[in-house]
Amino acid sequence: MDQLFSLIEKIKQKSVYYLIPIGIFVLIFPQLTDNQYVLHVSIRILIYMLLASSLNMIVGYTGQYNIGQAGFYAIGAYTAAIIATRAGYSFLLILPICGILAASMSVFLGFPTLRLRGIFFAFTTLGFSEVVRLTILNWRTLTRGTFGIPGIPLPEIVNFQVSTNNHFYYLGLFLLVIMLFISHRLINSRIGRAWVAIREDEDAAKAMGVETFKYKMINLMYGTFWAGIAGGFFAYFAGYVSADSFILDESFAILAMVLVGGKGTLVGPIVGAIILTILPELVREIARYRLVIFGIAILVMVHYRPQGIAGARAEGRRIAVESEYEAGTAEPVTETSGKGS
Amino acid sequence: MFYIEQLFNGITQGSIYALMAIGYSLIFGTLGLVTFVYGEVVVFGVFVGYYLYAVMGLNFGLALALGLVVTWGVGIIVDKVCYEKFRNAPRLIMLITTIGFAIFLKSSTQIVFGTQQRNMPDILGHVFLNIGTFRIPFIQILIILACIFFIVGLQLLLYRTRIGTALRALSMDKDAAFLVGVDVDKVIKFGHSLGCVLGVFGGVLLGVFYNAINPIMGPNIGLKAFTATVLGGITSIPGAVIGGLILGVMENLTVAVYSAGYRDIIAFIILITVLVIRPSGLFGRKLES
Repeated sequence: MDQLFSLIEKIKQKSVYYLIPIGIFVLIFPQLTDNQYVLHVSIRILIYMLLASSLNMIVGYTGQYNIGQAGFYAIGAYTAAIIATRAGYSFLLILPICGILAASMSVFLGFPTLRLRGIFFAFTTLGFSEVVRLTILNWRTLTRGTFGIPGIPLPEIVNFQVSTNNHFYYLGLFLLVIMLFISHRLINSRIGRAWVAIREDEDAAKAMGVETFKYKMINLMYGTFWAGIAGGFFAYFAGYVSADSFILDESFAILAMVLVGGKGTLVGPIVGAIILTILPELVREIARYRLVIFGIAILVMVHYRPQGIAGARAEGRRIAVESEYEAGTAEPVTETSGKGS
Repeated sequence: MFYIEQLFNGITQGSIYALMAIGYSLIFGTLGLVTFVYGEVVVFGVFVGYYLYAVMGLNFGLALALGLVVTWGVGIIVDKVCYEKFRNAPRLIMLITTIGFAIFLKSSTQIVFGTQQRNMPDILGHVFLNIGTFRIPFIQILIILACIFFIVGLQLLLYRTRIGTALRALSMDKDAAFLVGVDVDKVIKFGHSLGCVLGVFGGVLLGVFYNAINPIMGPNIGLKAFTATVLGGITSIPGAVIGGLILGVMENLTVAVYSAGYRDIIAFIILITVLVIRPSGLFGRKLES
């Protein structure tokens, strides 16, 4: 186990050299295989990467535990499905609407909860995703209830018809790259520094003049915006949406990807999405136990590698210091009574 | 007439929620954090009891007792896995562990006991109590009495016994309790398991009330217990009772006026409203915001 982790550390140190071949491989990947099943799975991985990355923005950068990301994913997917089947607007117009609608719903959620301690936020997001699902099931005139919405047309981008799995792969990849690029720029900006400051110590951030509520709200809107986009893309890719795709287990799976992959890094959720989507596909027997394994994986990670497979070290060190402090082997450096968060 | 019957339904259901909320607030008091695994532990306990009763053919009381023993054990396991190592770590870490354990337990319950809804055996049949023109199902009165019994029992435990005093001390100040000689670790385990067991009692009664139990009701139970607790003020036990009753009555009146499909949304609306207007709840100590 430790050897494996030290290997990962080594890879991370030289990540720049590995990035180029990986990038080339990802770009030419659809040309290498004709297997539609493999392509289908890769597109699903891309969707999960987008979702996990969007959740990571919230969980990993401000430390707000959103465990209802599937709710925003559902809003995006249903927005796309309803507008595309009824109004017939073009793909390029609908996709941003999906994101904007998801983000505006998050304001409704964030307003009462982001002023309070994080635990209230976490529980409210859980409830929110259930409310979204129940609304979809009950608002039959808009969503057709349990029947779902079939027949979502294939997207058309400036006279180019996106029709094959190949096309969807590149479209998904494009969205992911855009998302990661914007996120990267954002994290290294004033806003991103405010987010990290809030994650590390909210009271200290406030004392330094960071408007914590405002930045948490921006953060929540940004993260849910991309969940909405992922939902819109999913609706077009699947051609059919139903409330069954957005149950709580979906939120849990996305959260597991972020936590196992490593929160607070851009690479982490990508790694998590790959591992946790491919694993049940490779070993069909364990597909049934998918979420049992995800749950155990989260627990194992928290106990033995809190920063996740590809995560930053910081939090792990903090726990180590605290457990040494508990065992009486280290001088107490800081006040760590656990009342802070 | 219809509304009065619905009101009575609401009070019955509300007293069950009250029982669950008390369990929740007990856990919150001893651990000092919101747990996500509560609803799943309750569902697991209820299903173990159901399995022993309906499949293995055990006597109802014995099955319930064994279910509670198993729940007590699960409570201790949850404490070992999720809390013990992280007692002094930042609280968000315990949040992650409880989420992880909840995911694990929820899917395990579904795999072990199947995903379909199960019918709860009818214990009393359709016995009604006639008061004038009202017909009240006898089972509802029994449920309410059972809830009152547990609530009074818990109050006695908290205010008349040593371990109860220790629990109250712990919920006020963990460090101070340790200094005056409370075995913090033991008392936390006790409080946590006791809270889970109360929840399972609530879960069984809910199953009797609905005549059905569902392996995926865990998050909903968790959310409702949490809502009732927050509504009443998070560490106040009388508050939890009143919060549970309000939630139950509101739910049933909404169902009566509107549609049954929106039943589970009420809890969420109440939660949001409370958090906006009065985050400390009706009877709570002021929370730092």
